[in-house]
Amino acid sequence: MTLEIRNVTKAFGGFQALDGVRLSVPLDSLFGLIGPNGAGKSTLFSVISGFLSADQGEITLGGRRIDGLSAPARARAGMVRTFQVPREFSHLTVRENLMAAAPAQTGEGLFGLFFRPGTVRREEAAIAARVEETIALLKLTRVADQPSGKLSGGQKKLLELGRALMVEPRLILLDEPFAGVNPVLIGEIMERIAELNGRGIGFLVIEHDLEALTRLVSRMAVMDRGRVLAEGEPAAVLDEPQVREAYLGGLS
Amino acid sequence: MFYAQLLVNGLVQGLVIGLAALSITLVFGIARFPNAATGDAMTLGGYSALAAFKATGSMALGGVAAFLATAVVSLLAYLAVFRQLANRSVVSLLVASIGVAFFIRAVLGVTFGHAQQVFMAPLSRPYVLGGVRITPLDLQLAAVAAIALAAVFGLLYFTPIGRQMRAVADNRDLARVSGVRPGRVMVALWLLAGGVAGVGGMMLGVKTIVSPESGWEMLLPAFTAAILGGIGSPGGAVLAGLLLGVAQEASTPFVGFTYKIALAFVIMLAVLLVRPRGLFGRVEGAR
Amino acid sequence: MDAYLAAIAIIALIYVLLSLGLTLQYGLTGLINFGHVGFFAIGAYTSALLALKGVPLILTFPAAAVLAGLSAWPIGLVSLRLRDDYFAIVTLGFSEVVRIVITSEKWLTNGVQGVPGIPRLFEGLQGFAAQAATLAVILAVTIVAVWMILRIAKSPFGRLIEAIRDNEEAVKALGKDPASFKIQVLIVGAAIAGVAGAFYAHYITYIVPDQFIPLVTFYVWMAVIMGGVGRVSGAVVGAAILMVFLEGSRFLRDIVPWISEVDMASVRIGVVGLLLILFVMFRPQGLMGDYTKR
Repeated sequence: MTLEIRNVTKAFGGFQALDGVRLSVPLDSLFGLIGPNGAGKSTLFSVISGFLSADQGEITLGGRRIDGLSAPARARAGMVRTFQVPREFSHLTVRENLMAAAPAQTGEGLFGLFFRPGTVRREEAAIAARVEETIALLKLTRVADQPSGKLSGGQKKLLELGRALMVEPRLILLDEPFAGVNPVLIGEIMERIAELNGRGIGFLVIEHDLEALTRLVSRMAVMDRGRVLAEGEPAAVLDEPQVREAYLGGLS
Repeated sequence: MFYAQLLVNGLVQGLVIGLAALSITLVFGIARFPNAATGDAMTLGGYSALAAFKATGSMALGGVAAFLATAVVSLLAYLAVFRQLANRSVVSLLVASIGVAFFIRAVLGVTFGHAQQVFMAPLSRPYVLGGVRITPLDLQLAAVAAIALAAVFGLLYFTPIGRQMRAVADNRDLARVSGVRPGRVMVALWLLAGGVAGVGGMMLGVKTIVSPESGWEMLLPAFTAAILGGIGSPGGAVLAGLLLGVAQEASTPFVGFTYKIALAFVIMLAVLLVRPRGLFGRVEGAR
Repeated sequence: MDAYLAAIAIIALIYVLLSLGLTLQYGLTGLINFGHVGFFAIGAYTSALLALKGVPLILTFPAAAVLAGLSAWPIGLVSLRLRDDYFAIVTLGFSEVVRIVITSEKWLTNGVQGVPGIPRLFEGLQGFAAQAATLAVILAVTIVAVWMILRIAKSPFGRLIEAIRDNEEAVKALGKDPASFKIQVLIVGAAIAGVAGAFYAHYITYIVPDQFIPLVTFYVWMAVIMGGVGRVSGAVVGAAILMVFLEGSRFLRDIVPWISEVDMASVRIGVVGLLLILFVMFRPQGLMGDYTKR
């Protein structure tokens, strides 16, 4: 079972953000995506998750074409993204943020909430139990009842991850989960991610912190100027001359 | 012949809408919110022009008075209200602009009363051009509008402050890092936006009546023209205003006088659904 | 005096209903509905015209709710694809078009002359009894509406519409479609406004297009903003303050006879404008405080 991206292109005006991207991400893997600024990583995330539409190309998830689906429909198909800049529901508490993320709730329909109160109560109890697990897993217990707008940047990143988990997806797209997070917390988030991967959830991770990423993922792809330059095991990929020139060379 | 006459009437009407739409599109493009006080700013222009016209008998001086008075009030509204809300959500600015609109209307109502007033322009023989009647008054109005438009476009495209205004409309952050002083741009913006709305208000007053509610009625056609022209596109706003004016006049025989404004609404919906960037705008130009 | 207080209470409850609808739409969901008066007008005319055709009021009130709600549906479909600020303009335009239509379609609405002689609720009762019974009914309806909105606010549905208000993109990323929730909210809010319109028509007994100007929409906005955006209790408190303001200005006019009625109308508009500005600038959370601390 894989997420397949075939020949995806996307242009903004004259700027070719994605130029024939091909990538195959196994749904149970820990997969890294790196590249210099402007390489097209975040654009690729948006195109995969349906927030932008591709100009050309095909995207399939577990063999099913998803490139014609809306963003919510793609999430329901089992693939949830997070955002580079956290998008918490700022007036809701951490607990409410997580509750809101749970899928297929009877109480989210006006009919259900007025005419099937028993079902709604039972579902809420079940969701609340899962939320407690998620809060414990992400060590957010202390802030669980605070409005999420008041959290620190790192806590918001964790909350984004937690919301994605509540959807119970097969694959989570993480956009820079370590950006702006304090180093102690980075270690913790990585442990969580590895743990979750052990339970069969796949991750596709964009990250600038190469050191952290290479420790985390088992495979990675390198993008530059809208193309995938190389793909494979982290050490091997980083050794390729093309990559060193385009990416690491550009940094030093 | 009948249609040619409607065309001429429509163009005069279209100038009114175009001036209002220009005011809206400038504010929308640079200060980034739809200013609902534009209609009542026009009313202010109407009353100012009327006062100057009664005192001097000159339509041109009426136009100058309308431009100046409305520009000053518009700047005051910016300094007192909109500048304070610059970093707040669009809804804050939008609700505040409604507040400003009501406040202007109230002051005008108390000051000038509620009776409808008209410009008692001397009647003069219309020029007849191939069967189409054009009154000297229409020509005077068109001249005032043309001068106002020429001044605005000259300022926008041929002066440093105009270039800065367009730079801010294009990309505020980029403009800031390249040394544009946003404060001065905003002052220029509100003076200009107020002034053109005022001139539009004078024309509206001359063509119809002046009453505390008269300008508000123009808000919907003006928004429509601003959207049709493409938010942030000054030329587009004026052109779309002219188009809408002609369309309204041309449709009057079929849909009746009162449905003119409804026509603007239908056009607005159609544009928003089919081509939200308008005829000349950029997709994300407004944000 | 009793009759006067009952009259004020009835009008105040009509504003409470309108404020509840807007609280659901703007306060909880973040929809900038600048056309509330349009749905109010549709409710008023629907119930009034049906009643004059002999339809019993027990049916005209639901009809008002249904038609006002249904009229929100296409507006929702069309405009929920738009940005917030365009949505505001479109709804404002919608309410203006409603007023144009009821002004123009004389065969149906009698145009600017308006619809006179609308039957009251409880025509059978005499004098104050009829008024008291009307008050009891509208109070009961308002209580049901408050209960409904509270129920919605505290439900998973309420949680999700608040999530939409806070960040719509994130809601999409979680696999939920904001548009369908917004349309439902728009319809429910419009239906409540429609019921308010029906009460208004049958209480005033005479409706004309000029009663349905955008000023009414912004009276309701003023009430919601003053009471505290996003709080159901705020809608009630805000509507009460609005009523005190409207009636107070009428009293003022009785004691200060040299102010004419039209001048008083201007003063009223000016105060509404000033309050909108001041609250947005200095107390956006309203009188009742921050809505995150419900």
